Amino acid sequence: MSFITCRGLTFSYSPESRVVINGIDLEIEKGSYTAVLGHNGCGKSTLAKLMCGILLPTGGSVCVGGIDTADAERAYEVRRKCGMVFQNPDNQLVASIVEDDVAFAPENLGLPRGEIRRRVDEALATVDMSGYAKHSANKLSGGQKQRVAIAGVLAMGPECIIFDEATAMLDPTGRQEINAAMKRLNREMGLTVITITHYMSEAVEADRIIVMDHGAVAADGSPREIFSQVEKLKAISLSVPQVTELMYEMELDGFAMPRGILHAMEAADEIEKRAGGGKK
Amino acid sequence: MNASVNALELKNVTVVYGEGTPFCKTALRGVSVCFPEGSTTGIIGHTGSGKSTLASLTNGLLKPTKGEVLLFGEDIWAKPKEMRTVRSKVGLVFQYPEYQLFAETVWDDIAFGPKNIGLDEEEIKNRVRDAAEFCGITREELERSPFELSGGQKRRAAITGIIAMRPKVLVLDEPAAGLDPKGREEILGGLKEYRRQNGTTMLLISHSMEDIARYADRILVIKDGEAFMQGGLNEVFSNAEKLFDAALDVPQITKLFIELKKRGLCGDTDVYTVGYAKKEAERIIGGSGNA
Amino acid sequence: MLKDVTFGQYYPGDSFLHRADARIKIIILIIYLVIALAAQSALAVALSAAFTLYLAVASHIKLRLLLKSVKPLIFVLVFTGIINLFFTAGSGEPLLQWKFITIYREGIRNAVIMLIRLVSLVLGSAVLISYTTNPIDLTDAIESLLSPLKKIKVPVHEFAMMMSIALKFIPTLIEETNKIISAQKARCADFESGNVFRRIKSLVPVLVPLFVSAIRRAEELADAMECRCYRGGEGRTKLKEMKTRPADWIFLLAAAAMCACVIFLNRVPVKEVFEFWKGMF
Repeated sequence: MSFITCRGLTFSYSPESRVVINGIDLEIEKGSYTAVLGHNGCGKSTLAKLMCGILLPTGGSVCVGGIDTADAERAYEVRRKCGMVFQNPDNQLVASIVEDDVAFAPENLGLPRGEIRRRVDEALATVDMSGYAKHSANKLSGGQKQRVAIAGVLAMGPECIIFDEATAMLDPTGRQEINAAMKRLNREMGLTVITITHYMSEAVEADRIIVMDHGAVAADGSPREIFSQVEKLKAISLSVPQVTELMYEMELDGFAMPRGILHAMEAADEIEKRAGGGKK
Repeated sequence: MNASVNALELKNVTVVYGEGTPFCKTALRGVSVCFPEGSTTGIIGHTGSGKSTLASLTNGLLKPTKGEVLLFGEDIWAKPKEMRTVRSKVGLVFQYPEYQLFAETVWDDIAFGPKNIGLDEEEIKNRVRDAAEFCGITREELERSPFELSGGQKRRAAITGIIAMRPKVLVLDEPAAGLDPKGREEILGGLKEYRRQNGTTMLLISHSMEDIARYADRILVIKDGEAFMQGGLNEVFSNAEKLFDAALDVPQITKLFIELKKRGLCGDTDVYTVGYAKKEAERIIGGSGNA
Repeated sequence: MLKDVTFGQYYPGDSFLHRADARIKIIILIIYLVIALAAQSALAVALSAAFTLYLAVASHIKLRLLLKSVKPLIFVLVFTGIINLFFTAGSGEPLLQWKFITIYREGIRNAVIMLIRLVSLVLGSAVLISYTTNPIDLTDAIESLLSPLKKIKVPVHEFAMMMSIALKFIPTLIEETNKIISAQKARCADFESGNVFRRIKSLVPVLVPLFVSAIRRAEELADAMECRCYRGGEGRTKLKEMKTRPADWIFLLAAAAMCACVIFLNRVPVKEVFEFWKGMF
């Protein structure tokens, strides 16, 4: 079942300015894990904002859980269903104390006190930050701040979370923390996860990759399918994992190497299989 | 160029923040490290390991609690009043340097450093023009406000502002952070070319093992405020076990060759670029008997 | 320089001042200010000083921090002290006369009262509010106390929200300022030399990036808040309930009584009390 549906979606920030999103038709399945790749300025962040109703389409439509985001009456329903975690951990936490920040969304929804408490505790437990409930948000590490931001979205009770380059400002440790959290939200809690990223290693973890270029979808498929098209990715100046590139380069040299190899182990298996065999 | 000359040297440096208070913290402990003239040293380590502290030591923004910082053999703290001369020789590019842009035009912003050094008008013009040309900033862009540029262009303009001072040593803290692969390649490739043309000594702080493997020739690993490993790329990356111990990684391609070695398919694990990996892998497949 | 800012510095703790209802604390602060300013007679001043001392001890805040809050005022304290000491004209014989300096009894008295008053004002508000009240509780309290104004369309919730966000971002912006200063120093910027005009001009490369970044942060935060269904104060609930416990009411009553005492004592001259005391025996 499709959770987010874009139909002929176009968007530009003002009538005179350039078209940022140029006719996108897209369906995101409920409970799926999708990565959106593309270089800076290709429109992927704008697409994310359109999907959670922060921006409204200038042409076409976006439906989230059956609600048209352009329906002003139900704007808050869209936002509640589809949360978003942003890039800069410092600019999305509202309150100084961790639990006050996580409580922000349920407070906005006007939930009773007991329910807010329950949601805050549960959300913090999900991202493994229960021990920090009373801590000052300013003193946490980047990865911890992003986990609090995730908890803040979870407390809203969303069905889908969009991560807009949420790991771009983190160190490798922080990135691992957030990637692990994303996986858990999808696999264990059944949430629809969309992650916008530059990191190929993160995109590889998803079930589906959408490659964007010039405000349109340039490629769409499983990580293996996408990373089989090395030429195409290079043409829109995206990189591929090192072993994928190695296999591709060897293929160019006339070795029959399989495409879409993503992990070092797989590559080792392939090389071992062919060891001593020579060119075919 | 004499290879044995050290452009920069830290001698037994210790840095303690807030000494004598309950919040006292040792950021670096007895670090001794050399940066030979003309080399590019990749500096790796976890957040809080002391990398940024080390960066602030190189141009005298921070004074070591103990030990010496030598620039071409001279203690930079010998004459604290002339620290600005040191800063013009050691260009320090902070993380996200685009957040320091302030002037009305890109030109004025790039000229800020050279002006502060006290150069004359003509020299400033030359330097701004040269630096901009090298970094691929067009004449038209120089006239624009820095705030109108795209993210990648802003980053380039900010780095140009440091290059325009013509430093002998260039210290870069994560110069490619947050950029897409194309932006990364432009910045890091450009810096490599700059070093090739000018023989500038570089210190490149990065979290990306792949980038360090591509752009550096030496590595310094900092762990808990100490120099944990240092040496050429081969020395450090061939010691993958020790890196894993420090909870650091090696490039994916090196991982592949560690695995291949385990399976007895090759002897070397000092493979860290795709180009070299291809040769090795093709050798393995092409006939391991005749190697 | 920026490290010494104590504004909005909350020190978590578990003293009775920490636990007290922030709304009651704000009301007590007002009463307290009245006490400190109204105390005129020696007895009244002594009582007000005793109250300050009691609050300071009850807060369990370390002496070092207490002194830190007074430190920025040293100049003002010395200045007022001197003014009062030398420029109060007395009625009786001067205690000291040397060249142009004349000191009267009243001068000493005024200087002492002024100093006690100033120190009390600063220390008292620091201990009652800044050090012992979580900023969030404080803004909640202000919102709650001012809520009657909502009826006449005063945006009380928005004001409180603005304040709490400002408090949240103070440490971030201080850190950012330090970073920008370092970055410009690395470009050989000079913040230390030259006359006042040059120094102010030298701050431009720091202030412009700081404003640009503050605006960018504000825009991003606005998006993040909208994404989390923020739509103003209407229909909003709170995680934390503000509770006024009996102890808070007693505290308030005590403060009010103290205020009454001070005003009463102002009218009672010390001499007469002594006379009265003597007459008892």
